[in-house]
Amino acid sequence: MKNAFKWWWGILLAFGLLAASRFFLPLPFVNEVVIFSIYTIGCSFLLGRVGFISFGQPAYLAFGAYGTAFYLFYFGTNPYIGILVGVCAGFIAACIVGPLFVRLRSDYFALVNLALAVIVFYMMQKVLAEYTKGDNGLWFLTNIASTPVLNIGRSSEFFIFAMLVAIGVWALYKYLDDTIFGACCLATKINEGKLQFLGYSNFKVRLLAFIVANTTTALAGALYAVYLGSVSPEITSPARSADPVVVTILGGVGTLFGPLVGTIAYTALRDVLSKFIGNWELFVGFILVFIMLAGEKGLWGSAAPWLQKLFFRGKAADDVAEARR
Amino acid sequence: MSVEILQAKAVTKRFGGLVAVDRVDFTLREHEVAGIIGSNGAGKTTFFNLLTGMFAPDEGAILHKGEDITQMTPQQRVARGVTRTFQLTSTFDNLTVTNNLVLAYFRAHHKSSMWNLLFTRVKRFHDEPKILGILETFDLLTVRERMVKNLSLGEKRRLEIAMAVLAEPEVLLLDEPLAGLAESEIKGVLDVLRGQIGKQTILIVEHKISHIKDFVERLMVMHEGRVIAEGGYEECLNHPEVRRSYWQIDTDETANA
Ligand SMILES: Nc1ncnc2c1ncn2[C@@H]1O[C@H](COP(=O)(O)OP(=O)(O)OP(=O)(O)O)[C@@H](O)[C@H]1O
Ligand SMILES: [Mg+2]
Repeated sequence: MKNAFKWWWGILLAFGLLAASRFFLPLPFVNEVVIFSIYTIGCSFLLGRVGFISFGQPAYLAFGAYGTAFYLFYFGTNPYIGILVGVCAGFIAACIVGPLFVRLRSDYFALVNLALAVIVFYMMQKVLAEYTKGDNGLWFLTNIASTPVLNIGRSSEFFIFAMLVAIGVWALYKYLDDTIFGACCLATKINEGKLQFLGYSNFKVRLLAFIVANTTTALAGALYAVYLGSVSPEITSPARSADPVVVTILGGVGTLFGPLVGTIAYTALRDVLSKFIGNWELFVGFILVFIMLAGEKGLWGSAAPWLQKLFFRGKAADDVAEARR
Repeated sequence: MSVEILQAKAVTKRFGGLVAVDRVDFTLREHEVAGIIGSNGAGKTTFFNLLTGMFAPDEGAILHKGEDITQMTPQQRVARGVTRTFQLTSTFDNLTVTNNLVLAYFRAHHKSSMWNLLFTRVKRFHDEPKILGILETFDLLTVRERMVKNLSLGEKRRLEIAMAVLAEPEVLLLDEPLAGLAESEIKGVLDVLRGQIGKQTILIVEHKISHIKDFVERLMVMHEGRVIAEGGYEECLNHPEVRRSYWQIDTDETANA
C-alpha cells in the first residue's frame, strides 16, 4: 500500500495540479496542454531513453488523427471507438515502418522520419484528397454521438477523459522504466555492442520502443481529432515537425515529467507571447539555445533536484535520483 | 574427454596492407583455461574479434563444437554460449551497478522475447542470491545502487567481469581483464575465475604473463599476427623465437624471479 502510494504520488500530484489549474486557466489551454504532452512523451522517450531523435512525429500524429477522422466521418459516431481506430492505425503504421527505420543510425533515423512526415502530408493534402477533402479537411463534429458516463463530445468532459488517459500514459512510461525493457533501452542507447554480447537483440529493443512511442503519438492524434472535431493536413505539416523535439528539450530530455513541464511552458509562451510579440518562435529559439548551452537539462531537469532539496532536505536521496529521470 | 569447443583453422585478417592475424590455428578444449600473450599490436584482440564474430576472417574458418560458425553474427554465437569481455571496459554507464548485473543475469536464465522484456520488472532480481553473491565476491556491495558512470576504473573492470561470469556462457573470452586493476584486486578477480574452472571454458588475453602463469594450463604466444609458440608456461618461455622476438617477457620475468 505504502509502496503503491510512493509509486503513484508523483504522477497524481502532477496531474492533480494540472486538473486544479482548470479553474483559473482557460479550458482550451488546459486541453491543449494535456494532448500536446501526450504527443511529446513518445518523442521524449525515443530521444532520452533510446537515443533516437525523430523529426517526423507529425506523421504518427496524423496516422492517429486520420484513423479517428475516417471512422467518425465515414463509418461511425462513437468517439471512443474512433479513438481506438486511430490508435490501431498508429500501431499498425509503426509496426510497418518500424522494422525499416530502427535499423538506421540515429542521424538518418531523424531524417527518414522527416521524409515520412512530408510524404504523409502530401498524401493527405493531394494524393488522397478524394477521401481526405484535401486542405479543407474532414469535419465531423456534428457526427460525434453523445456517450453515457463521460460525454467526450463536450470539451469539459473531454478534459476529464484526456486527464485520465494522460495519467494512464504516464503510469505506463513510469512502469516501462522499471522493466528489463526499460534497462535495455538505456543500454542500447549508450553501448549496443555490449548489449549484443549479453545476448539481447538491439533491433528488438529498438523496435519495441519505436512501436510503444509512436502508438502513444497516434493516441495524441486521435484525441486531437475528437477534441477539435476536424482534421486537416495541417496536423502533419512539415513546418511543425520539430515541435515535439523542441518541447522535449525545453522540458528536459529523458525525464518523466519533462514533456509535461515543457508543454506547459511552450503552450504558455505561444499563447501569451504571441499576443505581444509577433515572432514568438524566435524567442523560443533563444530559450532553446540557452538551455542547450546551460547543460541540456531543460526546465524540469533543472528544477527537479532543486524542488527535492526544498521539500525533502536531501533526505530521500533515491527519490532525487528518480525525479531526475 | 577433450571435446573441442572452439577451433580456429588458419584464420587470417588483414587491415589494408597490415596482416593483423596471420594463418592462426588454435583449439580450445572443454573446461580448459588457456591464455594468449603477446606484445602490443600482436593481434590478440583482433583474434578475439574473429572468434566472437565482430568481423569475419579474410581466410580460414571458425568452428564451434565442430560446426562452422564463421559466418554467424555475434548474437548467434552468444546464443551458442560464446561470449566475451572487452579490452576497454564496456559497461552500461547510465544504469546502476545492480541493473547492469540484472541484464546479464536475466539473459542467462530467461528468453529475451518482447513479452518477457516488457513484463519483467528489474526489481524482481535485486535480491537474487546469485547477484548478491557476485556483488560480494567482486567487492561491489557498497556501490551497488550507484550509477556506473560514477565508479572508479577498477570497480568498472570488476563489474564487467562480474557480468561476464553472471551471464554463464560456456566459453568465456576475456580480453585483458586485469588491465587497470591494482595488485590486490587482481588476486580477487583471479580467485573468482578459478572458481569457474571446470564449469566454464576460459580463454584469457593478458599482457603481463606473470599474472596468469599459475592460472592458465596452456599458453599461446602471438607476435605480429602469427603464433610463435604454444604449450605450457615454461615451454613457451624457453622457446627460442619467443626469447628472440619477445624479449620483454624475458626481462620482465627474470626481474620478477
Ligand atoms: N579495426 C581495425 N582497423 C585497422 N587496423 C586495426 C583494427 N584493429 C586492429 N588493427 C591493427 O591490427 C593490429 C593488431 O591489433 P590488436 O588490437 O589485435 O592487437 P593486440 O594484440 O590486442 O594489442 P594490445 O596488446 O595493444 O591490445 C594492430 O597493428 C592494429 O593497429
Ligand atoms: Mg588488445
